[in-house]
Amino acid sequence: MSESISRESSVNRREFLLRLGVTGALIAGSGLAARKLWQPKHFVPGFEKEVGLQLKSYAPEVSKVLPSLAIAHGTEHEKTIRAAMGALGGMDRFIKHGDVVMIKPNVAFDRPPALAATTHPDALRAVAKLCLEAGASKVIVADNPINSPTGCFFKSGLSAVAASMNLDLLYPETNSFSPLSLDGEILKEWTFFNTPFKKATKVIGLAPCKDHNLCHASMTTKNWYGLLGGRRNQFHQHIHSIVSDFALMMKPTLVILDGMNVLMSNGPTGGRLSDVKPMNTIVAGTDMIAVDAYGYSHLLERDIAELTYIHKAHDRGLGNKNWKDTNFKEVQV
Amino acid sequence: MANEKKSSAGNRRQFVRTNVPLAELIAGGVIIVLLAGIAIAIAIKGRHFNPDIFAVRTDSLKSTIAAVTGKGGTAQSAPEVKPPAGNSVAEEGSAESTMAPAKPAAKGEPLEISLAGIKPMSPTEFYTSDNLFEKIDGRAPAYQGFNVQQLRCRSFSVLAAPDSFVDVYEYRFDNPVDAFGMFALERDPKGRSLEFAADGYSGEMGYFYRQGAVYVQIIASDTKAETLALAKAIAENRAKELPADDHGLAGRRKLPADGMIADSVAFVLENAQGQADLKEVFQAKYKFDGAELPFFIMVTTPDDAAKAWKSFQDFCGKFGTAENLPDVNGGKIFHAQVFGKWKVVYQRAGELGGVFDADDAAKAQAFIEKYLRGEIK
Repeated sequence: MSESISRESSVNRREFLLRLGVTGALIAGSGLAARKLWQPKHFVPGFEKEVGLQLKSYAPEVSKVLPSLAIAHGTEHEKTIRAAMGALGGMDRFIKHGDVVMIKPNVAFDRPPALAATTHPDALRAVAKLCLEAGASKVIVADNPINSPTGCFFKSGLSAVAASMNLDLLYPETNSFSPLSLDGEILKEWTFFNTPFKKATKVIGLAPCKDHNLCHASMTTKNWYGLLGGRRNQFHQHIHSIVSDFALMMKPTLVILDGMNVLMSNGPTGGRLSDVKPMNTIVAGTDMIAVDAYGYSHLLERDIAELTYIHKAHDRGLGNKNWKDTNFKEVQV
Repeated sequence: MANEKKSSAGNRRQFVRTNVPLAELIAGGVIIVLLAGIAIAIAIKGRHFNPDIFAVRTDSLKSTIAAVTGKGGTAQSAPEVKPPAGNSVAEEGSAESTMAPAKPAAKGEPLEISLAGIKPMSPTEFYTSDNLFEKIDGRAPAYQGFNVQQLRCRSFSVLAAPDSFVDVYEYRFDNPVDAFGMFALERDPKGRSLEFAADGYSGEMGYFYRQGAVYVQIIASDTKAETLALAKAIAENRAKELPADDHGLAGRRKLPADGMIADSVAFVLENAQGQADLKEVFQAKYKFDGAELPFFIMVTTPDDAAKAWKSFQDFCGKFGTAENLPDVNGGKIFHAQVFGKWKVVYQRAGELGGVFDADDAAKAQAFIEKYLRGEIK
């Protein structure tokens, strides 16, 4: 009986090979099917990583003759800005006939102009006027304030300037943002206020010069912070890294630092006229790091050694913190 | 032989099914077919992406929107701007005005001010410590350092001056001492003191003061007479409406006003002068007889004040020279020279204070004696 059972339970060679083959085919098939279905970037099909936009450079051609930095001293915005631009070779060096110019002011807060927490309306008026005189077909003004955009533009006096000069004032809307890709130190993938850049052929940053509680200073480089969307305050933990990334993110046509009245303390909001000091200076240039270096040392009257983002950007080759080594021109109105 | 077979199989039961029932074969086949069908269905579904199944349903996130729309996230709708005066005003509870930001998460009582000549430009805005950055961005950490609890703010248009407005900010802190701390940090050294608020001053465009646990800022849009007059009226109104509370600020009240350098008042929560017994201390600098003298004061129980005075004296004796001086008007005094600087410290009942880091011992002593006699108020 036992021998009989043993014979019946044994497997002959043919059957063994057949079973082995079927098992192997099932395992191989499962592996191939899993490989076919597996998506390494995301489990759910259709959610593949979106490729963000790369901003183009709006920088002008480098001139071996004309200055890249101009410092003008005067008492009136328009005259002083004209003088600064004259020292750079005139606005028509940067703006050509038919250009659509995007001016990026700093309108972060709903403060009145006298408190110097925002770009002054007289500065915007003067720069827009120069652009139009140079032949710009349209001037766009855009910012994404941390607070209510309409309130900020109204109280800063910029919406009145835009209305009186027929400038295109673009407020951030839900569909104004696009993902941005950057190989920055901190800034990699982030939502970006892109609508103005769809039309602009030239970009000018127009920033006030002011104290900043976290960053020490807010000038032309930090001004680009206003183009980010989302809960961007999370970057405050790495404020100097993110600000230095802006020198990589933006290659503007021109930056202008308004140092006519400088918010020397309690920035970036201020709130008292005693925080504001008249410095009667406009700094314009193609290198935002050089412009900020001058602003920090000569307008905020502080030691540039403590302004970390300047050094980060300089070390990354994104600008020159040694503004005196650049081709600069200083004029008095 | 049978025993050998049994041994090689161990105790395992030898069982071979020679006849599998047809029903069982059919059931097994059905299961295999079903498994194959499920696999094919998954493959087909995966290839043909249906967003209704896999995409995030944004409507299910509505409950979280309130927490992020203060900054519009990336973007609140921004309709056309209208001037503040006249008919552009939105009342509380009505639809958002064109000036209003998206509603932040925090709520509270609307900021109503019953004064002639002003009109609200927008609904009241509320911010907590967590989303304060939506209003003041990089300035928020300074306020958070003093445990700010809430910001309530609103703008009012000046009816007599088109395009002019007054902004009212009320920062509520966890206690009056923290409110004072933030107020002192931003103090304008050139500010003029106020009659209606002990810790306050006016600047060229605004009024700033502490009332209870609230740090109030009234900021005018310009220096027009009508705007500044209404800013002052609003400041006085808020000082009346907000509850007074000086808890923890007894020391501040004791600081004499005569000769005080306006922007020099500071608060030290603990370990003042490096002394563990000196807590909640107020300090200020005074102009006295051509010298500038730093002065501190602490108000506590008489026992604690006596203990701290003795401890301070022992410390000074250990690291320098300390000597008792004659009592003045119920106050016992010692003076000490430590690390080349002079201290003159008194204790009277529950009050402990003194001049520290003085270069001139005689002037420091004279200041304390005059203070104890009530000649410096």
